[in-house]
This record gives sequence, C-alpha cells and structure tokens, in this order.
Amino acid sequence: MAAAIAAAILPGAAWAQTSIRENGSKLYFSKTVPTYKTSWEHYLALKAKAHGGTKKTFAALPNWGGLWERDRRLEGWAYAFDTDERANGPLSAPLNAEYKAKYDKKMADLAKGIEWDNLSFCLPAGFPRWLTEPRPREFILRPEETWLSTEQQSEFRRVYTDGRPHVPDDEAYPLWEGDSVGFWNGATLVVHTNNLKEGQYQRQQPDYTDQVTTVEEIRRTGPNRIEDRITVYDPGSLTKPWTSVQSYHRVTDPPTLRVNMWSCNENNNVVKDASGASTFILPGEAGYKEPSTLGKPPQQ
Amino acid sequence: MKKTLGCLSALFALSLGSSAFAHHSGAMFDNQKNVTLQGTVVEFQYTNPHSWLQIMVAGSDGKQVQWGFEAEGPSTLLRAGIKAKSFMPGDKVTVVGHPMKDGRPAGGLVSVTKADGTVLSPRPQVPTPGA
Repeated sequence: MAAAIAAAILPGAAWAQTSIRENGSKLYFSKTVPTYKTSWEHYLALKAKAHGGTKKTFAALPNWGGLWERDRRLEGWAYAFDTDERANGPLSAPLNAEYKAKYDKKMADLAKGIEWDNLSFCLPAGFPRWLTEPRPREFILRPEETWLSTEQQSEFRRVYTDGRPHVPDDEAYPLWEGDSVGFWNGATLVVHTNNLKEGQYQRQQPDYTDQVTTVEEIRRTGPNRIEDRITVYDPGSLTKPWTSVQSYHRVTDPPTLRVNMWSCNENNNVVKDASGASTFILPGEAGYKEPSTLGKPPQQ
Repeated sequence: MKKTLGCLSALFALSLGSSAFAHHSGAMFDNQKNVTLQGTVVEFQYTNPHSWLQIMVAGSDGKQVQWGFEAEGPSTLLRAGIKAKSFMPGDKVTVVGHPMKDGRPAGGLVSVTKADGTVLSPRPQVPTPGA
C-alpha cells in the first residue's frame, strides 16, 4: 500500500536516485553468481571450491557478536526481499506465470484494502522470509553448529557444520526454518537449506512453494555489517534461480538493548474480516483479549 | 474532543508507515491522514507484537470514548526512548495517529506529547553505523 501510495505521489525518477541502504555503503557480495540445476549442486560446487571447507576451532571462529538488524530500503515497502527492487519498478523475482498471477492478485487485493499476513495468526515468518524481518538478531557460533536468531517469535535457525547430512528423505517434512547444513570457507559460512514450508517473501512480495531450497554465503564484511548472499531455487514458482544480498547492520544504541523472549500471543487482537482484510478487535468489543489478564493463573 | 485531520505529504512518513506494522497489514489505517486527540492515559500496553496506548477522550457531548493507538513492540520503542513507564495511567497526553479507515476509535501511533511538552515518537530516524 505504501509503495503504491508513494509511487502515486512521487515520480519514478525520484526513486531511481534513492539509496536502498540505510547507510548507503556498497556491499561486499555481488548478486552475480554461477547457478546450477539444483541448489545442492550449487552447494557442492562451493564446497569443492573451498576444498571441503575450513575446520573450525572456537578460537578460529569469526566474531559475529552483538545485535544486528536488517538494512531496509528507505523508500516504498521497507522489506522487499531483494532490496534493489524499486517501488513501481520491475519485480526482482523471476516468477513463472502462475506465481506472477498470484502476486498480481495479491497487489490488486491490497489496492482494495484487502491484505492478510499469517504472522497475524501468531505463526512464525519462516525461512527464507525470516531474512527480511525487522527485529534485532543475534548470531551464535560454535565449531559444530551456528544459531541464527531473530527476536520476532524468537525464531532460531540451526545450521549444522559438523559434517552431518540433511535428514533422510523418509523423515523429512516441511519446517518453518527448514533443515540447514553448512561448512566454513574461511570467514564465510556456506549454508544449504531444504525441507521448507511454502510461504511469502514478505507482504507485498511474491509467494514461494514448499519446493524452495536455498544456498547462502554469510560473512561479516565490516565492523558494522554482516551480509548474506542467498540464491533461491524454487522450481514451483521461479523460472530460474534468484540471487539477492541481504545485509544487516550492528545495533549499538541503546547499549542496554537485549533480545528478549518474544510472544506474539501476549497482545494480538488482529483478526481477518469477512472480506479477508486485517482488522482489530478493540477494547469493549466481543472477543477482545485484554493483555493484562493473559498469562495469569487460571481462576479456581 | 479536540480532533484535527491533516494530510501527510512527505515520503518520510510513508516509508515509516510501511515499516511500522511488521506483524500485520497496515491497510486498516489511513496513512494519509492524522488525527490529533487530547486525553488521559488509561493503560500503556508495552507488549509484543505491538504496544498499545489506550487513552480516554472526552467528546463534545461530554461522553468519554476510549481510543487505542498501536505502536511497535518494546525493543523498537526502547530504541526510540519510549519505556514501559513513559505513559502512566492518569497522564494527560496529546496523541497524533493515523486513524482507522472504518472510523472506529483507534489508529497507528505517530507521536505523543506529554504534559511537560516532551514529544515521543515510536519511529524517529536513527542514524545507523557505517560498514
């Protein structure tokens, strides 16, 4: 909606000159990468190039300490999956006809004020959408495993770097964050993720199917930046692999800021109305959940 | 009830509006309008996924109406200098918000002016460190 409104007010030429990064600096990773028939082939090619990967000790792990937050574009919808995408410009994702039609319908509904987000059911964002969410993040590194966390819904991704394979096919099922294995290539964490649920990259962004798999290269590229170059493979929705660079800046103000447990249910009165649009139940209306009464012991 | 409506004209405000409602659509708010209300704080719900400032507003007919204004969760508000005790029950405040399109007494919080003149906004522009 904001993108549509803004596009109506400001000419496209103005957008083209607008920085997409909050600090305007250039990125370490480019979006130009070799792509393969499958994400697994892509991952294995990176592993071969890294001569099997770098065995890490605690002392050799890079420092990804502190709090981090995704760089947003400053114009239009702040959370486009590919932040090079411009309001009122071409869509970055190479969608097939079916998913382009779904996206067009989503935007047509939005123009009528109809938009729903499953986050409003207090469901997780899930991966790869997880990359775009706005809350503070922490990254916890061990030689055999890395945890990538965001405050929102306290969603953790676990990346196993101890050489284990993906879960066997007969045990696999769609997961919010998928199943991630990886290796270190020097200071870069390379990750392959599969077994994902279908979802959307963000509101006002396209959908993806449960065939989606990804390859990521994650690296601290400066004192205040971590970048994640991701190539998405989704034969259900994309005509070819789709690469973008996600970037995250360090959050230092206020120094007392912590990542806390985040429960969506403690104050969620968002509901879907008869048209499918999002709205609220307000205090005094039937069904309103007063947050101060939630979480207390049940009355005898 | 003191109530004024005005048009937002800046891209700044539009981009902030779009970033405000990460857990749900913002389409229920009219981001092109502001409503300004003077009232008394009933409750400040400093919660996830969103905080809500509930205020009681006296109408021109003398009838009290409760208005609710939605803002971000605590980790975002803290960075904007808004703490759990920033608004206490009984505090007199002037609130600016984007009203609901359906006319019900709620909106997206833009700013709060306290009795001492302090203005708090949930979404100030905070410079970010360079790479």
